Amino acid sequence: MVDFALFHRSALAGAKTGSFGAASTGSRIALTALSEGHVLHVLAAHGSGALRGLVAQIGDGGPYAVRAYGPGQWFVVGDAALSAADLSGKAALLASRASIADQSHGRVRIGIGGASVEAVLAKGTAVDLDQANFAIGHSAMTLIGHISALITRTGVESFELMVLRGFAESLWDDLVQMSLEFGVEAKTAD
Amino acid sequence: MSSFRLSKGGRIDRAKPLDFTFDGKPMQGFAGDTLASALLANGRQLVGRSFKYHRPRGILTAGAAEPNALVTIGEGGRTEANTRATLVELYSGLKAKSQNRWPSVDFDLGAVNSLLSPFLGAGFYYKTFMWPAAFWEKVYEPIIRKAAGLGRATYEPDPDTYEKCWTHCDLLVIGAGPAGLAAALTAGRAGARVILADEGFEPGGSLLAETAAIGEKAAAVLLEETLAELASLANVRIFSRTTVFGWYDGNVFGAVESVQKNTAAIDPNRPVERLWRLAARHAILASGAEERPLVFGGNDIPGVMMAGAMRSYLNRQAIAPGKRTVVFTNDESGYRTATDLEAAGLEVAAIVDSRVGAPSSWAGRAPVFPGAVVQDAKGGKALTGVTMIKGGALETIKADALAMSGGWSPIIHLACHRGARPVWSDAKAAFVAPQTQDGLTIAGSAAGVGALEACLADGAEKAGNVLPSLGFSSAAAAFTPAVDTATVAKPLWCVRGAKGKAFVDYQNDVHLKDLRLAVSEGYGHVELAKRYTTNGMATDQGKLSNVNAIGILAEARKVSPADVGTTTFRPFYTPLSFGALTGASKGKHFQPVRKSPLHDWARKNGAVFVETGLWYRSSWFPKAGETTWRDSVDREVLNVRKNAGICDVSTLGKIEIFGKDAAEFLNRIYCNAFLKLPVGKARYGLMLREDGMIYDDGTTSRLSENHFFMTTTTAYAAGVMNHLEFCAQALWPDLDVQFASSTDQWAQIAVAGPKSRTILQALVDEDICEVAFPFLGAKEVSLFGGKLTGRLFRISFSGELAYELAVPAGYGEAVADAIMQAGSPHGICPYGVEALGVMRIEKGHVTHSEINGTVTPADLGFAKMVSTTKPDFIGKAMLSRDGMVAQDRLSLVGVKPLDPATTFRTGSHILSEAATPSLENDQGYVTSSCFSPNLGSTIGLALVKHGPKRHGEQVTVWNDLKNEYTKAVLCSPVFFDPENEKLHG
Repeated sequence: MVDFALFHRSALAGAKTGSFGAASTGSRIALTALSEGHVLHVLAAHGSGALRGLVAQIGDGGPYAVRAYGPGQWFVVGDAALSAADLSGKAALLASRASIADQSHGRVRIGIGGASVEAVLAKGTAVDLDQANFAIGHSAMTLIGHISALITRTGVESFELMVLRGFAESLWDDLVQMSLEFGVEAKTAD
Repeated sequence: MSSFRLSKGGRIDRAKPLDFTFDGKPMQGFAGDTLASALLANGRQLVGRSFKYHRPRGILTAGAAEPNALVTIGEGGRTEANTRATLVELYSGLKAKSQNRWPSVDFDLGAVNSLLSPFLGAGFYYKTFMWPAAFWEKVYEPIIRKAAGLGRATYEPDPDTYEKCWTHCDLLVIGAGPAGLAAALTAGRAGARVILADEGFEPGGSLLAETAAIGEKAAAVLLEETLAELASLANVRIFSRTTVFGWYDGNVFGAVESVQKNTAAIDPNRPVERLWRLAARHAILASGAEERPLVFGGNDIPGVMMAGAMRSYLNRQAIAPGKRTVVFTNDESGYRTATDLEAAGLEVAAIVDSRVGAPSSWAGRAPVFPGAVVQDAKGGKALTGVTMIKGGALETIKADALAMSGGWSPIIHLACHRGARPVWSDAKAAFVAPQTQDGLTIAGSAAGVGALEACLADGAEKAGNVLPSLGFSSAAAAFTPAVDTATVAKPLWCVRGAKGKAFVDYQNDVHLKDLRLAVSEGYGHVELAKRYTTNGMATDQGKLSNVNAIGILAEARKVSPADVGTTTFRPFYTPLSFGALTGASKGKHFQPVRKSPLHDWARKNGAVFVETGLWYRSSWFPKAGETTWRDSVDREVLNVRKNAGICDVSTLGKIEIFGKDAAEFLNRIYCNAFLKLPVGKARYGLMLREDGMIYDDGTTSRLSENHFFMTTTTAYAAGVMNHLEFCAQALWPDLDVQFASSTDQWAQIAVAGPKSRTILQALVDEDICEVAFPFLGAKEVSLFGGKLTGRLFRISFSGELAYELAVPAGYGEAVADAIMQAGSPHGICPYGVEALGVMRIEKGHVTHSEINGTVTPADLGFAKMVSTTKPDFIGKAMLSRDGMVAQDRLSLVGVKPLDPATTFRTGSHILSEAATPSLENDQGYVTSSCFSPNLGSTIGLALVKHGPKRHGEQVTVWNDLKNEYTKAVLCSPVFFDPENEKLHG
């Protein structure tokens, strides 16, 4: 057995960071690469009934940890990385009523916030993000421009976008471009 | 005398002068001017030359319908041709140029066409340039295009940015004139989310241009109050400079907003134009009405203008059209213009009213001539007078301006974009659209309402009517009901006996005689007449001309306009820049880049990348001293076969399949058996389409009883995922099966070559010897002494002893580094998709080059894989059709040149050795080819008739495109290690 260094490379390690666009509009956008902790794709088995409560149990209890993805499908997200043992423990909790596909490396979360955040995202998505229609905690699968993403409202002026790892950098670049008129602060490292 | 600016009045800001140039000549206007009004203020009435006859043309309208005043704005990459001067908001530094003239707009040699005009009538080109046929494309058309036309586009790249946006509302109000404002105010007060869009730079529509009072209130005061209240409502948004250009499915409207087209100082952080997709629960179309020109001789001479436009320039921008104006009208609009002109102290020489019973309420100074018409306007580059006919007598009146009004046509384009047809209304003397459609209501003069008060009331009422269906209690309408006092005149389609050309379509130089000729030559149908004469084409799409043309066709055919009908309204309402349609999708934002988790690993190892769909795959890894890609690829291939290589295969599609019925599901999806695949095993699967042709291939492994892991080809990853979902949801909803795409979750690394096992064993905790982990093994493994869990597959595309190791993507680079480190003493090298391709061709393994949508399993030698015992699988029913089992189907063979020094290309055709090169003698074609460093020659795979029976036959490989002929021999598609001895190390 050779002793190899096992390092984790974050999906947005090469993404551009810093300040872009308009200097002082008073409504600058903050773009943040979020922790690549865990993303669990939960898929309900046939006829397993209402599962939302059960699915919540495998989450870390954080706000908006469980995000609706499709009929009988959820993403459970959190900042902490999970071991194989953690994972099988959570699978056991679901007791064959649902399966878990680990997507902790396959999906990347990007935070975006600021007073103009709805205007920025409207350049990409056809979803009506008005708060009356898209309340805090609400999620929807959508296209941001050409790229598919799960969008979740985490605050009055903040959203999270969850995107396929391979597209993360491209989406990041698009979001910077979309934010230029308001100015944007792009941060990848914690 | 020409047009000029009055010393007072208008809505312009005289404290803000703006400098601009026209054809290089410096001029000055004011904030509040359009380019058109500023040109008029500078006495510039001749602004362009016409399309065909190069006639001098002036400014005819004050809006979107302008057919004449098309100018080129800007310079370099910002050059924008065919811009309507009437819609350009004047800004400081604006550079405008006239078009379709040489050497200048004042002296244009092209005007010689006017002398040739007897020969240039409708259909002239069709009749004249028929022979010889080849001349049309090569000679005639280029010459005609050079002589006729509009402005020229630039070849330089546009330096500015554009973007697209979505927005949503309860009620979209299109047009901020009286009806639109009233509708927006009514809905806004009720609390609805309202968007009020208007193409102008100032909302108000006709309220900006009229001096009329509404009750006791002047139009301008009413406008100011309404806008102030709208601004105070947070639920109302006003989109100025925004043209709604189309109505689409789902009640989505397209609109383009000019964000920075009104400035020379472009802020690079903002787009110059923004294309909106407006999703509206309901819309009110309050787009107003277009005033119709009158068709008389010389009605295009600069100085002739629409009566409403003349009023607009006078009241908005304090422009006097000239010193002495004649009004030619058949409705009230002419009188309103005369009133406003006289109020401004300008002389109106005559009001020529074609109606016999002209209204007697005129109280102005100008003489009225009822029952009279203007037969001809006189002048060249500027109007000098008109010839009036009254009671058969000709009278000449000196004038430098002529206002004309032939009645009003509701602007109904948008209402007809989704299939509704305009209907002729005798009562309104106009084509009208259905007043209500699902999601759209028409209000105001777009609905045929005439008087100002009535438009306000109509907008308010129609908004009030729709609010309850949107969930808002119907608040009091913003304006009280009013009777429409406007009268509708009988249309005057054309004036008879004109000496000069009487234009119907200004932009395309279509005149009265052209339309009559079309009818007499059998092209009287409205769609044929349009093509025969070009009436209604080009940038204005007949906004001014269509209704007159229909009236003239109707008269010539002796039918009602209702029987003639209209051509079809389609988006876009007005021309749209390609920039707006492109949005941000250019340069690096043209399409997303999809990066493998091993992208940066490959880059630091020197990879040359190739675009594969959205992915960037490493294609080879050049080393110092290698001068061509072949040097690198040959080395990589030889090294993998001798030692070992590592290749990124993360881009292959990966799908996790869960459920009690997952095995049964796969058994139906694949043509070969999967029901009894043991846990811990991988199997190569062939997926067919319903028609029996192969759809995709790949390996699927059983990781646990109810958990499978499918790999697809890179290209078909999304397609296969959709296919699986469709089958599960629509074909077999009773099966318990779920799918999760995990392509991005895993960095997948192929390690191939005789030393691959030794190398991987250094990382993998479990024993992976031939006995413990044989060919087609698949299992989760522990790595680095328990630091990481991955998935290991004993599968091979190269034909070597090989593995694929999948690890969570974020660790991909670390694991690839570790493999390189462990493999370094064993001579490992990274290899790319080119070497991968060479090795698979050497082994006769197929890809989508062979699986090209026309092949069955048997065609590729997989006949035995197709289950004969399964009750059903996708493709089974069609697989036994005659054509699918025909003996002479193209089937897979190998092909290699007789002389190893010669070569051939993929796509070349196979001919029997002595056959004449022709498609009749075609035997098949080369699907893949490469240079095999192991065989020392080009090798290829081919689909050939009776292929497997022809091994050893000499053939000719024929490339007609390059005129290449290569003597070759057909052979087994497995060129290398036919006994598969290397697979087991």
